Amino acid sequence: MVEFALPANSRIAVGKRVSHAKGAKRTKTFKIYRWNPEDGQTPRVDSYEIDLDKCGPMVLDALIHIKNDIDSTLTFRRSCREGICGSCAMNIDGTNTLACLKPIDDVAGDVKIYPLPHMKVVKDLVPDLNQIYAQYAAIKPWLQTQSAPPPDRERLQSPEERARLDGLYECILCFCCSTSCPSYWWNGDRYLGPAVLLQAYRWIADSRDEMAGERLDDLEDPFRLYRCHTIMNCTKTCPKGLNPAKAIAEIKKLMIARR
Amino acid sequence: MTDNSLRSSLSRARGLGSAKTGAEQWWLHRVAALALIPLTLWFVFSVFHLLGAPLAVVQDWIASPTVAAALVLLVAVGFHHAAHGLQTVLEDYVHHELTRLGTVLAVKFILYALAVASIVAVLKISFGG
Amino acid sequence: MATAYQIIDHSYDVVVVGAGGAGLRATFGMAEKGLKTACLTKVFPTRSHTVAAQGGISAALGNMGEDDWRWHMYDTVKGSDWLGDQDAIEYMCREAIPAIIELEHYGVPFSRTPEGKIYQRAFGGMTTRFGEGRAYRTCAAADRTGHALLHTLYQQALKHDAEFFVEYFALDLIMDDDGTCRGVIAWNLDDGTIHRFRAHQVVLATGGYGRTYFSCTSAHTCTGDGNAMVLRAGLPLQDMEFVQFHPTGIYGAGCLITEGVRGEGGYLTNATGERFMERYAPSAKDLASRDVVSRSMTVEIREGRGVGAHKDHIHLHLEHLDPAVIHERLPGIAETAKVFSGVDVTREPIPVLPTVHYNMGGIPTNFRGEVLRPTPGNPDTVVPGLMAIGEAACVSVHGANRLGSNSLLDLVVFGRAAAIRAAELVQKNSSHKAVSSHSTDMALERLDRLRQAKGPIRVSELRLEMQRAMQNNCAVFRTGDVLAEGVTLMQKAWAKRPDVGVSDRTLVWNSDLVEALELDNLMYQAVATINSAANRTESRGAHAREDFPQRDDVNWMKHTAVWVSDKGETTIDYRPVHLTTLTDEVSVFPPKARVY
Repeated sequence: MVEFALPANSRIAVGKRVSHAKGAKRTKTFKIYRWNPEDGQTPRVDSYEIDLDKCGPMVLDALIHIKNDIDSTLTFRRSCREGICGSCAMNIDGTNTLACLKPIDDVAGDVKIYPLPHMKVVKDLVPDLNQIYAQYAAIKPWLQTQSAPPPDRERLQSPEERARLDGLYECILCFCCSTSCPSYWWNGDRYLGPAVLLQAYRWIADSRDEMAGERLDDLEDPFRLYRCHTIMNCTKTCPKGLNPAKAIAEIKKLMIARR
Repeated sequence: MTDNSLRSSLSRARGLGSAKTGAEQWWLHRVAALALIPLTLWFVFSVFHLLGAPLAVVQDWIASPTVAAALVLLVAVGFHHAAHGLQTVLEDYVHHELTRLGTVLAVKFILYALAVASIVAVLKISFGG
Repeated sequence: MATAYQIIDHSYDVVVVGAGGAGLRATFGMAEKGLKTACLTKVFPTRSHTVAAQGGISAALGNMGEDDWRWHMYDTVKGSDWLGDQDAIEYMCREAIPAIIELEHYGVPFSRTPEGKIYQRAFGGMTTRFGEGRAYRTCAAADRTGHALLHTLYQQALKHDAEFFVEYFALDLIMDDDGTCRGVIAWNLDDGTIHRFRAHQVVLATGGYGRTYFSCTSAHTCTGDGNAMVLRAGLPLQDMEFVQFHPTGIYGAGCLITEGVRGEGGYLTNATGERFMERYAPSAKDLASRDVVSRSMTVEIREGRGVGAHKDHIHLHLEHLDPAVIHERLPGIAETAKVFSGVDVTREPIPVLPTVHYNMGGIPTNFRGEVLRPTPGNPDTVVPGLMAIGEAACVSVHGANRLGSNSLLDLVVFGRAAAIRAAELVQKNSSHKAVSSHSTDMALERLDRLRQAKGPIRVSELRLEMQRAMQNNCAVFRTGDVLAEGVTLMQKAWAKRPDVGVSDRTLVWNSDLVEALELDNLMYQAVATINSAANRTESRGAHAREDFPQRDDVNWMKHTAVWVSDKGETTIDYRPVHLTTLTDEVSVFPPKARVY
């Protein structure tokens, strides 16, 4: 059944408070979810008050500033810092997004930062994404053809056919969308979620792929596909401005069209 | 999904494979929703007009073949839609396999029983039983 | 102490370290050939920095005009300022064509021409007929080519059921007493365990070390861990003085704006609005090679013609381009410019500055990917059991300066070459020789020392000190005095290594310790870079010495090989440049003056 009582390690305590903004003109407080798997404690929320003139404009800059200069135990994933690698996906101010693309000024009041919702936490802001990566692998996200490609040249594809991949291939697998989807929260073990379904559609929509029917067969399932109830959180939250809900709708349309 | 399972993530992600069904049910649910728009409007409108009318007038109204057919249709489509909707809700929120199966079956049984009862009632009035 | 750590052993035919473009191409190439292959990576594969490449990947397909791989080879040799090995360059440019076709067959969503072929754009230094015309050679997927490529390669790895060890941080190589590489030690961040991978071939695909500098287009994870592992194993790195500054990093943030902007018709202006590149490179103009453009911009700023309140940057214009073209071909940079400099590219110029972008130097290899250790008798002695590919390697196809879009090409061509070579060298599932515990002890001692480090200096403090020294003393223009000062500054920084402190003592996802290990790796490479730069008394490609402004082919047409001891002392030797070709389909391009 639905669990109404939270397990012990989901009860969040109030953590430490650190101010690192002596003499600062512009300050901001960051309230950050902390959990260390090795210390046997329940999770807590630590507060860090920082001087905004000592760090860059984005939330990731603030996290790095805190790690560099205040508390080096703070743990989060980050890499490219320009919104293309998808590492720093987290819940900021109640919305899943990339810390590197989220301006601090966009948040009124304190900045509350949690890991991506409803995922197992490895440590602090680092969620365990193994299951969702496996779901991605399960849809066979590669070009599948039966006819051999021309030996010495590319498969041809018209610019119009290629344009159908726009808005699909750009996904960076940050999983902000899937982890914002209530349906994925409740049934993430069987529902593929918006990110993976967007990828599934990316291959169905590719004019070079010859296995659209088999791909649709594999998706036609009350859980894998039809747990999508068009809640639209996915589209609302996507930091790259993609529209997974539309991709899912396209899959559903094709399911009917082929009948 | 137990936490201490040693199954591979891919094995879990693939699970028991695709049921290769669902499109039909999803489509019927949409079609039923569409059908319910005029049927419900008609029903509400009619009931509004019949407010305060004597029993005989209402019975006569139901007895008319067109009205009876429409009412049977409304009941059938409405309960089907409700059954499917509730099944979806239960599948969303109830995670224990047996509990889910049990509640879905129970809800369907109740709804279809109500549907049959309603249809019998309409037919009874309609055929002047 | 070493016994305090639980060690889990694995045996593979091949272990690839790194899962960027080169690592992935090698991994599934080897899996495809039936070798038992493992790929270790400190970030999930699609988070590797290949994903950030924008402009494209070069190959003389001739889809948008005449082209020939020999012209591509000439451009690459010229771009390298004749420091590139011509046999390797010949191999890369010839193999480029089937390599791109293969990528398309894998499913890379390339942009298309009206006939449905792969779309190709102009790029810096790419010409036709040995410098006469402008070549359209760079195959592009809008301005997200690296993303499209990396995701496709990962998908192919999934297709071939390649085995990944994700979020494993490689610590050190396992070296035998006879100098053979036997495997690699890694730390699993997910559960804190230590893993010892034995392998007949270890392939380092660990990328560049841009983070030695304060401002770079590189990701936070670009710390050249493989390069440092090689140095600690007593092997040299090559041509470390050649650090590419990309002309168009966003002013302030440092994020990359692709050269493809200029390939599509964008141009640079100074404070007077002048298109100054016409003065420096009358023929290629804004599409001269990157070192030339970066130097020209630096001169403009230095002579007071920079833009902005502090006259310290340059404008990149694309507002004259059709918004439809921007939308179709440059959507990513339009977004990046908006987010990181608040600029609407259809109306205003982007503020840009030359920013550290790529390391031409790295682990010396031959064109098969085998790592080299120059000895007095043979400059091309192979290190058994060790290979290197991608930005970590110095094949050397980029010589003193890499041409834009040759990097993605390098990844796939040499990733594939390494797979071919490994299949020749390794007998499948053959048994592994016993290894001494020496390497394991060393690696674990280093891990434990840093994990328990209680010194007063923060990792971030020392990192900043190193980055500032490199940024200020080893930049676009260099002089002997400034470099000598830089060498001293790096010595001082090196001396502070024992005083670094780490405050997280856990083993699960201890990113404090990861950063300490990465900093240690970066320090080795910074020392190698600045000493190599101080040593080379000529100007060639990206290494521009104001006190030695000319290229000196008599004394300096040779690769620098640099060793760094655990005390931070460097030893320098040289390897000759390969002035030979592999076939008679093309002849060597002899050195000549390099003008664009």
